[in-house]
Amino acid sequence: MTPSARPQSLRSPEPSRRVLLTTGSSDAHTWNLVHLQLFLEEHGHSVLNLGPCVPEELLVDTARMTRPDLVVLSSVNGHGHQDGLRAARALRGDRATRSVPMVIGGLLGISPEGAATRTAELLDAGFDEVYADGTPPTALLRRLGELGGACTGRAAA
Amino acid sequence: MYRAGSGLTTTVPPAAQPPLPPGDLGTFVRESAEAGALVVQPRMGMVGAEDMAAGVAAVAGLPLRTVATLTIDSYTRVGDHAAATAALRAGLPLNGFPLVSHGPKTTARVAAAAGRGTPVQVRHGSADPMAIFRTMTAAGLAASEGGPVSYCLPYGRTPLAESVAAWRDSVQFLTEESRAHGRRAHLESFGGCLLGQLCPPSLLVAVSVLECLFFVANGATSVSLSYAQQTHPAQDTGALTALRMLADEFLPPAVDRHIVLYTYMGVYPKTVPGARLLLRRSAELAVRGGARRLIVKTETEAHRIPTVAENLTALRIAADAAGAAHGARAASGAPTADAEEVLAEARTLITAVLGLSDDLGTALLKAFDRGLLDVPYCLHPDNRGAARSTVAPDGRLQWTDLGALPLLTTSRRTIPMTSRQLAGMLGRVAREHDLAAGTNPPPEPASAPRPAPEPQPAEPLRIAFVGMGPRGLSVLERLAARCAEEPPARPVEVFAVDPYEAGAGRIWRTDQSPRFLMNTPAQEVTMFSGPADAGPHRPGAGPSLGEWWADDDPAAAEPDGYAPRAVYGRYLTYVMRCVEESLPSSLTVHRIPARVICADRSREEDGPDGGVHRLRLDRGEVLTVDRVLIATGHPDNEPDEQQGTWAEFARENSTPARPVRYVAGGTANEMPLADIPAGASVGILGMGLTFYDILAELTLGRGGTFTEGGDGLLYLPSGKEPRIMAGSRGGVPLLTRGANQKSPEHRYQARLFTAERMAALRAEGAPLDFERSVLPWLLAEVNLVLLATRIRRVHGPDAAAEFTERAVESAADDPRLLEGLAAGYRIDPRPLTGLAALARPFQGRRFGSPAEFHKVLTEWLRADLAEARQGNAEGPLKAAADVLRDVRQTVRSVVDFGGLTPASHRWFLAEFGPLAAMVSTGPPPVRSEQFLALLAAGILEPVGPGARFEADPVEGRFAVESEQVENSWVPLDVVVDARQPSTDLAADRDPLIRGLMVDGRIRTFTNAPAAAEGGERSEGAEVFATGGLDCTESPFHPVRADGSVDTSTHVLGIPSEHTRWFTQVGSGRPGPWGSFTKDADAIAAALLAAARPGGAR
Repeated sequence: MTPSARPQSLRSPEPSRRVLLTTGSSDAHTWNLVHLQLFLEEHGHSVLNLGPCVPEELLVDTARMTRPDLVVLSSVNGHGHQDGLRAARALRGDRATRSVPMVIGGLLGISPEGAATRTAELLDAGFDEVYADGTPPTALLRRLGELGGACTGRAAA
Repeated sequence: MYRAGSGLTTTVPPAAQPPLPPGDLGTFVRESAEAGALVVQPRMGMVGAEDMAAGVAAVAGLPLRTVATLTIDSYTRVGDHAAATAALRAGLPLNGFPLVSHGPKTTARVAAAAGRGTPVQVRHGSADPMAIFRTMTAAGLAASEGGPVSYCLPYGRTPLAESVAAWRDSVQFLTEESRAHGRRAHLESFGGCLLGQLCPPSLLVAVSVLECLFFVANGATSVSLSYAQQTHPAQDTGALTALRMLADEFLPPAVDRHIVLYTYMGVYPKTVPGARLLLRRSAELAVRGGARRLIVKTETEAHRIPTVAENLTALRIAADAAGAAHGARAASGAPTADAEEVLAEARTLITAVLGLSDDLGTALLKAFDRGLLDVPYCLHPDNRGAARSTVAPDGRLQWTDLGALPLLTTSRRTIPMTSRQLAGMLGRVAREHDLAAGTNPPPEPASAPRPAPEPQPAEPLRIAFVGMGPRGLSVLERLAARCAEEPPARPVEVFAVDPYEAGAGRIWRTDQSPRFLMNTPAQEVTMFSGPADAGPHRPGAGPSLGEWWADDDPAAAEPDGYAPRAVYGRYLTYVMRCVEESLPSSLTVHRIPARVICADRSREEDGPDGGVHRLRLDRGEVLTVDRVLIATGHPDNEPDEQQGTWAEFARENSTPARPVRYVAGGTANEMPLADIPAGASVGILGMGLTFYDILAELTLGRGGTFTEGGDGLLYLPSGKEPRIMAGSRGGVPLLTRGANQKSPEHRYQARLFTAERMAALRAEGAPLDFERSVLPWLLAEVNLVLLATRIRRVHGPDAAAEFTERAVESAADDPRLLEGLAAGYRIDPRPLTGLAALARPFQGRRFGSPAEFHKVLTEWLRADLAEARQGNAEGPLKAAADVLRDVRQTVRSVVDFGGLTPASHRWFLAEFGPLAAMVSTGPPPVRSEQFLALLAAGILEPVGPGARFEADPVEGRFAVESEQVENSWVPLDVVVDARQPSTDLAADRDPLIRGLMVDGRIRTFTNAPAAAEGGERSEGAEVFATGGLDCTESPFHPVRADGSVDTSTHVLGIPSEHTRWFTQVGSGRPGPWGSFTKDADAIAAALLAAARPGGAR
């Protein structure tokens, strides 16, 4: 293989984290998910991508089973605020997933007005961080790097 | 032909239909098409009934052929009517019209706002549309859209089997219920969109046809087949042609059908002009491709849900552009290659699916299960996800991995796509249109008829880049950036001809030893003409080498340091790929891994400019092009007389027991250094940058290591090293580069040696005597910085600034007044008397033994290292030396294109050039530390100043001796010539250059007094034959032997050395453009000027 044909930035960070990638229950967009999955995998993390329109039960069940290091909810259809609140309440309401770190980002409302309120509500509902639209995905790498302790488990994802 | 409905539906349409009520979508579109108008339609959905009705009324009220739309919100789409109703009651915002929650009465009232003539269509995106269809039929509506595949796979997680079953029931319900009420249901397949982006057209077309067949099988008699605008106009036109042909081929004749085009469904341009441009192009595409209805996007698409007014504007623009395009519509001839390809692939897909079952629903399920249909990048669990696609360099969508798709294809490689590439492709159309519209905004919508757009000229402008190293790449980068900003009138096709990897070329090959280093800090190197921004890396916006390196290889990268040449090579190939991956549709790039061996014109009989250029390649073909860029880089010269003699001598005297070798000059990478036996005596001729590469390869490359000793580095030999004798004119290595203390964008602003002053000098007195008229100013500038830095260290920045101002004032008349002025500051006021004082410290000095010389040399280099450690801003000497780099362009402005007298030009190249290089192009400190360690370890033995290499016929070996060091004579087994071969076209071995010289198509630059130019030279008048390629000023056309100019050829970089000075620069610098980027841009601009209508043929 010539050096130029090598995919760039294939590296294994220490530690490599397991990410559960999800979106709002009403959000059908997937390019953001495809892109984030590629990006996180290129940086050595393993990703379970739930795809579009993820109902809360599916999210909670999958998180219980796979015990991810981080749940990332990416939403761009403008309902991310309402969908995100429900997702957070569901995850935080279940004993097994109560403490799993979770973040949300994307286009969370249909207009920029009220962004601060939305962010406060989402944090209040249990998200550890709310990324404004346009935040580069490297923010996730920082968040993953800051996760304390060893990986939560190695159960097959 | 597939017979729709076979064995499936029980409902057969009656032979004679009652007349359809007004507002039938199929009839409306057909009548509009007959009237020559494209039907335009928004996507529009408001939560409130009053707002929605107002929107419908406004669309229907436009003086255009419109269809009104009710677009449903996401909750209703996924069947969560409870959430939609709750939001509606609570007054929460929704992203569409909650039709089911509003109920049939309200919906009917909203739809009535369209009046009698304008059809109303319900758009929803639901995998199970039954509830929506029930409500809309109850409200009297009969037109909707979607499909069992297109509204399932891309839009959620409903199992495909459920979607197929739900759609079968829903379509049957809609068609029967509509018929029962005297209406005709219309169903539009959304199959032409799928994920909106990156799906090759053949699959879009196939799914669209299959879904319409599914509608027909379930009772529909009026359908529309969709296609979403993609990335390449010609491919899109071909896809629309194929879609029309396949609809006619597969749909029963009695079924009413038309093609509907969607304005681009991917990432949308962010700017208003960009969005409008893309919209206009979609309308033109609709007309060109025979689509009868267009669903538009608005200019706020990228930002938020549009208002009614924004939707109306979009409809007006689309109708305006379509009207203009109708006038210009070309007569449709035979299907294009694009159409043929889409047609063949889509037909194969459709036929493969139809063969799976008589029930089309079952066939679709089997097809996805087996991967015979497979949507690239679709995450749905029922999609196989093995097929992959890409935007090809020419802008077309193509498959990169077929998975199990039943397609035959040639030369499609599986390449993993990175997230950055994906982002680049997804944003490509948006970026292209934002840029294009930024420089050339599309017209405002108006009612006045517009002149037809100029027909696309079929003939592209073809350009050969002979050599695709950094110089070729720099022009390509600017060419691509310019094409993206403003599409050229003609398409442009570039042939990047280089036998080595495109981008890196020969010198920066990626497979060379990691021990060969660059001599410019990585963060001062870039090949992008602008800094990276939030978008993907692309021409005009990308990382410097340092930034890229840190990202590419964070463990090994030292962005503040000096990158291995191989790393720069990888960066260059990355830039090349970035260019290729983000090409605007107007530009195509072909890599031609070959060498050009000769060139001529196709109509020689018409004179030197007759016909196109014909380039014969070493692999056999002939390339015909309109323009040529010669960027062949470092020369490969015939050995000169002495080199020839030495090579001969080595051959004659070498024996297996005691090999004798002469290694000719070139790059260290190409030298057979591995053949040099351990313990052999090796003389290295020349102590410049190539010397360091050789030194590293013969020590580090043989297993030696450097460790930190108490007093600098220590070398631990491996035992496999040869003895290394190094000699050069000055006898010392290059001066160490000062530790960097400046930002990559920093540029020193000259105060005395200014571009204006030099321009004035040249205007008054060219040709000039460099030593007498120019050098004093250059030295004054160097000394100004030297003295000001000394003053700053002692008295602070204010005093230094004061000194500088006073010095600039008083030195304006006489640059030699600096010393007196500095004397008042209680510092060492002595300026440099010349560069030789720095670069030739041992001139005229004699040494009693090699040991004495080594001792003195060690002290000298340690002192130089100490200066270097003080930095290139804080250290007086290194700050002063840095001036030489910063004013290089001003030197060029005086010297290039015959600015000096012949005698002075000769002196400049022979004397000043090497001295300036000694002082200002040196290696990083680590290299000097390694030099000292190797000297201390006895591996490296510098011979001394004025080293003379010779062939010793008595011994049968080579030998070297310094005339200034007693007892320095030493025999050598190997001589390695580490001097850079200088540009000398007469000695160039490149067959292309030779042929062009012989044919008189190029000539070397001879510096001769103006009066004697051309004709016979007056007796005794000195001329200086430089050996470099004679060319004009920017944009650098070669001058022929007869003095005429070849305006269809450009030359850049090292072949034009001597005509121009210091062309051995293989990179641009971040920040304001230097000559590297300016020269490239000037050539790109000239090439694009040729792409204008009437531009050269």
